[in-house]
Amino acid sequence: MPANAVSVEDLRKTYKNGVEALRGLNFAVESGEIFGILGPNGAGKSTTMGILTTSIKPTSGRAAVAGHDVVQDPLAVRRATGVVFQESVLDNDFSGLDNMRLHARLWGLNREEAEARTSSLLGVMGLSERAGDGVRTYSGGMKRRLEIARALLGKPRVLFLDEPTAGLDPAIRIEIWGLIQRLRRSEGVTILLSTHYLEEAEGVCNRVAIVHKGQVVALDSPGALLDSLGSEILELRVDGEAQRAADALAGVASFSSPPILIGDTLTMPVTNGDGPRFVEAVRQSGASLLGTTIRRPTLNDVFMQRTGAVSNGPARS
Amino acid sequence: MISSPAIGLSTIYRRRIAVATKTVPGLIGLTVTPVLWILIVAPALAEALGGFSTDIDYYTFVAIGQVAFIIPFTSMFSGINVIVDKDFGILRELMAAPIPRASIPIGNALAVLSIALVQVAIIIVLAELRGAQFETSLAGVLWFIGAASFLSLITYGFAETLALLVGRQEAYGPLVPAVGVTPWFLAGALFPISLLPAGVEHLARALPWTHALALMRYGLMEGTDSGLTNIWHMDSAPLMAALSMATLAGMAVVSLAVAVQVFYRKTSA
Repeated sequence: MPANAVSVEDLRKTYKNGVEALRGLNFAVESGEIFGILGPNGAGKSTTMGILTTSIKPTSGRAAVAGHDVVQDPLAVRRATGVVFQESVLDNDFSGLDNMRLHARLWGLNREEAEARTSSLLGVMGLSERAGDGVRTYSGGMKRRLEIARALLGKPRVLFLDEPTAGLDPAIRIEIWGLIQRLRRSEGVTILLSTHYLEEAEGVCNRVAIVHKGQVVALDSPGALLDSLGSEILELRVDGEAQRAADALAGVASFSSPPILIGDTLTMPVTNGDGPRFVEAVRQSGASLLGTTIRRPTLNDVFMQRTGAVSNGPARS
Repeated sequence: MISSPAIGLSTIYRRRIAVATKTVPGLIGLTVTPVLWILIVAPALAEALGGFSTDIDYYTFVAIGQVAFIIPFTSMFSGINVIVDKDFGILRELMAAPIPRASIPIGNALAVLSIALVQVAIIIVLAELRGAQFETSLAGVLWFIGAASFLSLITYGFAETLALLVGRQEAYGPLVPAVGVTPWFLAGALFPISLLPAGVEHLARALPWTHALALMRYGLMEGTDSGLTNIWHMDSAPLMAALSMATLAGMAVVSLAVAVQVFYRKTSA
């Protein structure tokens, strides 16, 4: 097995309507890691997943999964992968067990292997008792667990999870993330996931690529990316004249990246106890300070600092 | 772990059969429809329209006409499953599987063919019990099955293409009777195409329904006018039958090839 489970080189995709979804994407996923593609809606995550799962053809560039080129050898790619889609993709007329059996046949598992894997995975997912029930009767969380079990049935070398927690309530999202981590350990599978819940990915992914407008703007471990912002983030909420406050801040310190102004809130990393100096600068600018918050950096902050934009994921988990 | 086109075809085939037979209403629809047609509609048609020829048993004539009705109708209704699979169902899972993607429409076409042949068998058995006068041989049965099979594949290919192009159930539904039934009235199901106005008769000769009906009558009503002469105007019945079968085979290949191409185009970006 090659060192990289997934490699993407200068990947570009322009759709027929002229939309440039990917503008030279580059990253590699090492075998056995959980790798997150993070970014807001429209960043290019779904296009990337579509190309890697061979449902979308790239305009140019190269992508390989488990050593197989996605354009030249799509069948080999699909044989080596499992996919959990953003939307529920289940045969709703059938039971959970029927859905597992269909997948097993599609992936060419023999009957004994299929039954053993199905029983084991449904057990891990806590679905054994409901396996014979129609999936129409499943809750959202159960459907997602079934889809993850199904995707693992063919012993994929790479598991793709496209927004695995989208649309689920917070408690189930936490459960799914825990499940993903356990599966990586138990199945030894490389996991490539996309999500716009940037902060949720912090505790799960070994490395993340933050994608913005079809390009990678940051790629590292979540810890390293957070460290790049220092230990604290200062948020200053001002009443009007926010831009003047931002200009005043620019005059008192040289930031590695400028303060981000969102609405009436200025967000900036602080180091060396600079916080009080920044607060004073804002006061001196004539802006009225409504609130001050000091908190730990998040991947949302990394995204904002690298792009100057706001992630449309939840601001706080 | 082995994947191949055969695995893809057989898996898609089995799934489509399971979808069709999963529910009681589905089963009733598959079996009761041909029963109603052959036991109620066909005798009524024989009573109302029979008598254009004293050489032909009209109930037998129209019973085979019912076969050419039920096959396209089943195909066209199956097109709705294409839209359901795409919009609400499992198509993305199938697309992510290590099977050739052409096996999805082809496997579905073969499943619909099987369902249609079961319906055809019900019609023929019930018609025989009801008094139809089939005169046939092993070769005749094979002509019949071949024609019925090609008609199913042709109309399913058309249904799949139409469903993918239309894309919405509410838009596709009204097309089912329009596309699935209208040609049947022109194809010699109820009366020979020679009774049609000249221009319409030319159109009828180009319809797969017409060739299939003539071939099915050639197979099951040996010794009577099958309708092949009205299409080809030749003396040799076996030659005309071979030409019609070749025509149907060609149409089936084209119809399914178009369906596969449209499937590729509509399911990949």
